Amino acid sequence: MNIRLIGVALLFAALEASAQDVYQVLRASGDGFEQVTPGRALSFPEDHLAHPEFRIEWWYLTANLTDDQGRDYGMHWTLFRQSLRPDGATEGWSSNQVWMAHASITTPEGHVFEERFARGGIGQAGVSNQNEPFNAWLDDWQWQAEGLEPLPATVDFSIGEQALNLRLDASTPWVLQGDRGYSQKSAAGQASYYYSQPHIQVEADYTNDQGDVIVLSGVGWMDREWSSQPLAPDQLGWDWFSLHLDDGHALMVYRLRREDGNHDLSGSWVTPEGTSTSLGADQIGIQAAAPVSLQLGNARGVTLPLTWRIALPEKSLSWEVEAIYPNQWLDTQFPYWEGPVRVSGSTGGIGYMELTGYE
Amino acid sequence: MKPAWIALYWVVTSLISHHRRHLLQTLFLLVGLVTGVGLWSAVQVINAHAQASYAEADQLLGAQASDWIRPLSDQAVSLQDYIDLRRQGFRQVFPVLERRLTTADNEPVWLIATDLLSLPTSDTETQTAATGAWLGLVTPPYQTWLPEGLAEQLGLNEGDQLALADGRVLPPAALQTQTQQGQRLFMDIGTAITVLDAAGFSYLAVSSLSPDERERLQAALPEHLQLIRNQQRLDLTELTQSLHSHLNAMSLLSFAVGLFIVFNAVRFSLNQRRETLVTLREMGVGVGTLTLAIGIETLVWSLVGASVGLSLGYALGLFLLPSVAATLQNLYGAVVDSQLLLQPSAWLLAWLITLGGLLLALAWPLWQQVRMPILAARSSGEHWLADATARHRLLLTSVILFGLALLIYPNLKQLWQGFAILALLLFGAAFALPSLLAGVLKALVRATPDSAWLWRWALADGLAQLPALRTAMMALLLALTANLGVETLVGSFRTALESWLDQRLAADLYIQNDRLDLSHLTAAPTPAWLAASHQRNGLTLRWQQRPTQIRGLDTGAPDALSLPMANSSGLERWYQGEPDVLIANEQVQHLAGVKLNDWVTLPSPAGPTEWQVVGFYHDYGNPYFQFYLPYQSVVQHWPNAAPQGLALWLSDTDESLVQAEQALIEAGAQPGDWFEQASIVDVSLRIFDRTFAITAAMNALTLLVAGIALLASLFAIHDQRLPSYAHWRSLGLHYREWLLIIATPLVVATSLTWLASLPLGAVLAWILIQDLNVLSFGWTMPLQWGLTPAFRLAGLTALVVLSTVLISLVRLHWQMPLALRKLGGNDA
Repeated sequence: MNIRLIGVALLFAALEASAQDVYQVLRASGDGFEQVTPGRALSFPEDHLAHPEFRIEWWYLTANLTDDQGRDYGMHWTLFRQSLRPDGATEGWSSNQVWMAHASITTPEGHVFEERFARGGIGQAGVSNQNEPFNAWLDDWQWQAEGLEPLPATVDFSIGEQALNLRLDASTPWVLQGDRGYSQKSAAGQASYYYSQPHIQVEADYTNDQGDVIVLSGVGWMDREWSSQPLAPDQLGWDWFSLHLDDGHALMVYRLRREDGNHDLSGSWVTPEGTSTSLGADQIGIQAAAPVSLQLGNARGVTLPLTWRIALPEKSLSWEVEAIYPNQWLDTQFPYWEGPVRVSGSTGGIGYMELTGYE
Repeated sequence: MKPAWIALYWVVTSLISHHRRHLLQTLFLLVGLVTGVGLWSAVQVINAHAQASYAEADQLLGAQASDWIRPLSDQAVSLQDYIDLRRQGFRQVFPVLERRLTTADNEPVWLIATDLLSLPTSDTETQTAATGAWLGLVTPPYQTWLPEGLAEQLGLNEGDQLALADGRVLPPAALQTQTQQGQRLFMDIGTAITVLDAAGFSYLAVSSLSPDERERLQAALPEHLQLIRNQQRLDLTELTQSLHSHLNAMSLLSFAVGLFIVFNAVRFSLNQRRETLVTLREMGVGVGTLTLAIGIETLVWSLVGASVGLSLGYALGLFLLPSVAATLQNLYGAVVDSQLLLQPSAWLLAWLITLGGLLLALAWPLWQQVRMPILAARSSGEHWLADATARHRLLLTSVILFGLALLIYPNLKQLWQGFAILALLLFGAAFALPSLLAGVLKALVRATPDSAWLWRWALADGLAQLPALRTAMMALLLALTANLGVETLVGSFRTALESWLDQRLAADLYIQNDRLDLSHLTAAPTPAWLAASHQRNGLTLRWQQRPTQIRGLDTGAPDALSLPMANSSGLERWYQGEPDVLIANEQVQHLAGVKLNDWVTLPSPAGPTEWQVVGFYHDYGNPYFQFYLPYQSVVQHWPNAAPQGLALWLSDTDESLVQAEQALIEAGAQPGDWFEQASIVDVSLRIFDRTFAITAAMNALTLLVAGIALLASLFAIHDQRLPSYAHWRSLGLHYREWLLIIATPLVVATSLTWLASLPLGAVLAWILIQDLNVLSFGWTMPLQWGLTPAFRLAGLTALVVLSTVLISLVRLHWQMPLALRKLGGNDA
């Protein structure tokens, strides 16, 4: 959903300017970039590749995994792209492309993460060209597909001494979010192109810092989105959930917290076959339990809710969503909480939760 | 107990009250103290700062740089090699481009560029600070970051674009710096590569590696790249040691000259303070209490002097830092940050040295006064006698100092011994000066006929001035001698460098772009415009724990035929290309201790190789060892050696230069790839001048301090003798006559001092060039003795004397009426 896209923009904006300037930069600079318009049919495999004529873009993978003893693991891997200028210079030293990647590995033993940056145009980071097998990378973090489609693929990355090697595949079609991939953000016309794959089967080899290899398996969720002007100026942060339910359905729900206390709700309901229905604010119930305090390093802390109640009243469904491991804080330039959750209630399930804007 | 404290309090108060009554004396005491401590501490601060920078030499632009990845040849690292390493997960690797550029005004500037996004820094603060401004670096029209000092030096304002000698123009200037940028330009590496049309990176820097990672990286490197440990921290500390010793010696000299002023001021104050001391003793104050009081006064002055001096030193350090930084950059490639830090140890050291100096210059004379029998202290006749005794004692000390210098000289092996000899000579000469002055004045008085009574009076008065004047003259002699010595050293060096450059850069054009293949131009049949060419090759390796350059020369090339040899035997064997014969730069002889016809062992890919040294050539300004071998020997033993520049001699026709440039452009060269000889010589000499700017600055400052010393003592003399002047005036003496009496001894004394400084300066220069320079840098050169610096100094000294006499005259005008009134009062 667009929420993460805002995060991307903010992350890049942190690079560009001080926090006060961030919104200004993002609001003003849609000019010159290509705009997101309704009715543009997404076309694959071309749209899996980079769209440098748009300002920002990302490739996002989360996965809930277990080992042979049923213990919970999790991972997320993201590649962000930004065009600094709408001048079309994408190649070589004068390239206007900048790349950022985030990854984290969650294990019963702990949580590690890393943030990376790279300039575009010189081969250090990027997404493959047309008619080449799909490939997205930054340094040695890499998503390498077998063919032109991003799936099936392997994803390899390491954080410090820990490494994760994932093998991904999916049998259901891409889920085009919003109106056939056109995802409206605001009444003012802000929008993005957005599609997902919520039903990815994942096999993984995890190497821990002792060098032991642990075999994992589970389900993954991939999101793809690009836009030129994604930012809502008065937003404080967001709470985002991607849930794999035990009956094969997938649920994506988010809450955008605004300054005036009016929270925006949105989501989508995906059948096991990959058919998606958009969910409006009146169709979603979302409620946070009491916030808890997390102790971060260097004497800092953060207070945020790690237990949630989510309901789809029309379908008479409701769930309790709870963080599996509390401390999943990514202390990156734009800090946020992202980690695996367990679902109980109408159906059981697992998923990922992303919480931003908490202090 | 209590009465003793009260007594001490009153004694100290009476002692110190002197300074309130005689503000001028106090001022000079303070000036001497502060300038001495200031100059000394400025150099201390700079040295400490530079050494702290070397300790950071395993850092680069704010990131760790424990290793380098360099090509085996000295060529560029390609983008592909870098990307390959990054994509294998070596995120410790980041690209760096370093260049020496020449501005359109022929000023040399250094550039360093990297990709800030790839900088492996864990310091988030650096990261954020850097990234905040990073966008300007990578967005058209891009930016060239430079520190304020450098911008001033280049005359650049924010937004100005620096034009280079080759016609290229750098992106607009931004007054901003990256960590550890030093006095260099900083650019985004992409911009730098594009603007300068560089073939690739100078090297890849590698932040910290674990042993495992090192092994993996070593294995991952392609054959043409090598992983080298960053030993700059050690190298720089070792290489720059001599330079810092030189600076230290100069600063100690300044401190000594400052102490002379203090000593001078204290001696004058004794005239007035003697009264106080004697009165105090007559009142029954014990020697012990007085000694304690003097100790307290000394302590107070040491605290005042150290803190004010150190503050001045810090300001002076800031002022001198750019030129020291330039020297370090020019000679050793050492980067010194423009931020100066004052460490607590500097405070302590400054205070200790001030205290030591004051014990010598203030406490000692006062204490001696205290110890004098009361009666003798009251008598001025005793004082006169004491002056003659002091002169004789000084002369005796001088003889001892000279003797010590002579004793050490034959065993001169280390730099500190050299500086010790210099100090012994300088102070020996200074201490002998009062006797010389007294002798000459006496002889002149005797030689003056009775009829020229005014002249005789003037000269005889000189003897009366001498006790007051001698300290100032000693300080002046120190400053003049040091100035002459150092100026002669620098001048000789510049002359040697100029002729060496002429000899070494004999060709007309130098091609610096080793990517160009110009073999078709230089192979037979050569074009008509080309008279001769010389392609060199080479590489850098480590020998005797120092970076060492191997260079392959065509022994038949014109410049190889006239090498600037310092020393050789059997050089024809080298020219004949004997397989195990090489020549080395002088540094190998003087710093590595290799003698002519010795054998040296050099590492090569096939194992150690043995070579006989048949000659040493001058190689000024090179901090490294260097060996010249025949081109083919280098190819044979070091297959990875890379081209090291091509020199072209043009035919003696009008069109040859145009034709040559045309041919170069056709061969793919761009303006800036080749340089004309004259411009290289020009840039080299500019670098030289900048390198020695610190010497010139220190020189000027020492002389300034000596000028202050002279001024101080003249003021003191006049203050002291004002009653006599009033007497003379009342006897009907004209100002003109008075001027003659006052100025003649002064002129005689300063002229004698100046004359004495000429041979002394020559001796100093000789030792500096023959011994200290060789010990420090391994360079030898002929001594160039010229009178120009001597005359310049004479002019300067005359100016100081003239202005002090004029100021005295004016003051006299003001003070005379009061002095005459006092005189009248006394008579009544």
